Amino acid sequence: MSNIEISGAKILVRFGSVVITETVVNTWLIMLVIFIACRILTRGLTVRGGTKRQMVAEWIVTKVNGLVKTNMGEAFRDYPPLIAAIMALSALCSLSSMVGLYAPTSDLSTLVGWSLMVFVLITYYKIRANGFLGYLKGYTEPIVVMLPMNIVSEIATPISMAFRHFGNVASGTVVTALVYAALSALSAAVFKFLPGALASIPFFQVGLPAVLSLYFDIFSSCIQAFIFSMLTMAYVSAAAQ
Amino acid sequence: MPGEVQEFVSLTPWTMIFEVVNLLIVMLILKKFLFKPVNAVLEQRQAEIGGMYQKAEDAQKEAQALKQAYDERMSGARKEADELIVAAQDSARRRGDEIVEDARDEAVQLRRRAEEDIELQKRKALREARDELADMAVDIAGKVVEREVTREDHDRLVEEFIKSAGDEP
Repeated sequence: MSNIEISGAKILVRFGSVVITETVVNTWLIMLVIFIACRILTRGLTVRGGTKRQMVAEWIVTKVNGLVKTNMGEAFRDYPPLIAAIMALSALCSLSSMVGLYAPTSDLSTLVGWSLMVFVLITYYKIRANGFLGYLKGYTEPIVVMLPMNIVSEIATPISMAFRHFGNVASGTVVTALVYAALSALSAAVFKFLPGALASIPFFQVGLPAVLSLYFDIFSSCIQAFIFSMLTMAYVSAAAQ
Repeated sequence: MPGEVQEFVSLTPWTMIFEVVNLLIVMLILKKFLFKPVNAVLEQRQAEIGGMYQKAEDAQKEAQALKQAYDERMSGARKEADELIVAAQDSARRRGDEIVEDARDEAVQLRRRAEEDIELQKRKALREARDELADMAVDIAGKVVEREVTREDHDRLVEEFIKSAGDEP
């Protein structure tokens, strides 16, 4: 067997206790891409419209506005930028693995950070809607015995969000690495009769990984970004009631 | 240490903080550079479209009003024309009647005057004839009687003569 190494993010810089990993730096790159994309899309906007760039920009804004309006209601009119940020950052972070970068979303810290932020929002809206005492009282409903259950379910929300996303992206990485290794081993076994260096070319690595990449990199990336933002909208708007 | 690799499943607080901050920064970027300008443009367009609809509605209303006014004026003009024709016909008929009446009156008058004339002439002729006859009679009588007849005799004679003459036409 070839040596399969599945590891986390590289630590690039360390100032005392502050650690800057590949995850953070790659995210910065993606943020730069998002910033540039925004600047390009909104260059020369006109009321009449007409350019393809503007059509794309308007499509994005209208879609996200509509999504937030249907899922959260009129009260959350400030939310489209946050939802769009989650979608864009999550999807682009996952897709960045296609260009050989370490995907920031395959780092559990990223997803736990984001879902903790959502958890803070949920708690904020619950307290705002019911008052602090009402919020605490919510844990003892419908009966006091349910208290531990309620606490677990409350904590489970961010954890499930984080691990769902992390699991999908990370499993893609793991499965892809395993398949590559397996195909390499298979090639070596089948083509060992070839002379010299030819035998070490992993012919089977052509084809199948592309199909897997189609699923894990493109489909799964977009779907997870969508799910994460949908859950954010659902939990936050539910908390406000 | 730089170059160190983290565990595949690991939690790093600093990464968590950085990533949350990154997410918030992306949110601000999208808000300022995508949502704000595009929403502004969309709102402006909505307002413009609303204005256009309003303008179109106004124009339609105005056209409707103009058409109605035109129709009213048209029907008014037609009625007026009808009235004018009727009035003209009436006055023409009246005028014609008057003319005929006048002509009739004049004809009657003319006839009466002519009749009077005739009467006058007749009377005049009669008087002349009488005078002449009287003279003739005086002459004749003078010749017959061989003496001068007095005027009184003469007049009596003439009267008698005319009576007899008038009796036998």
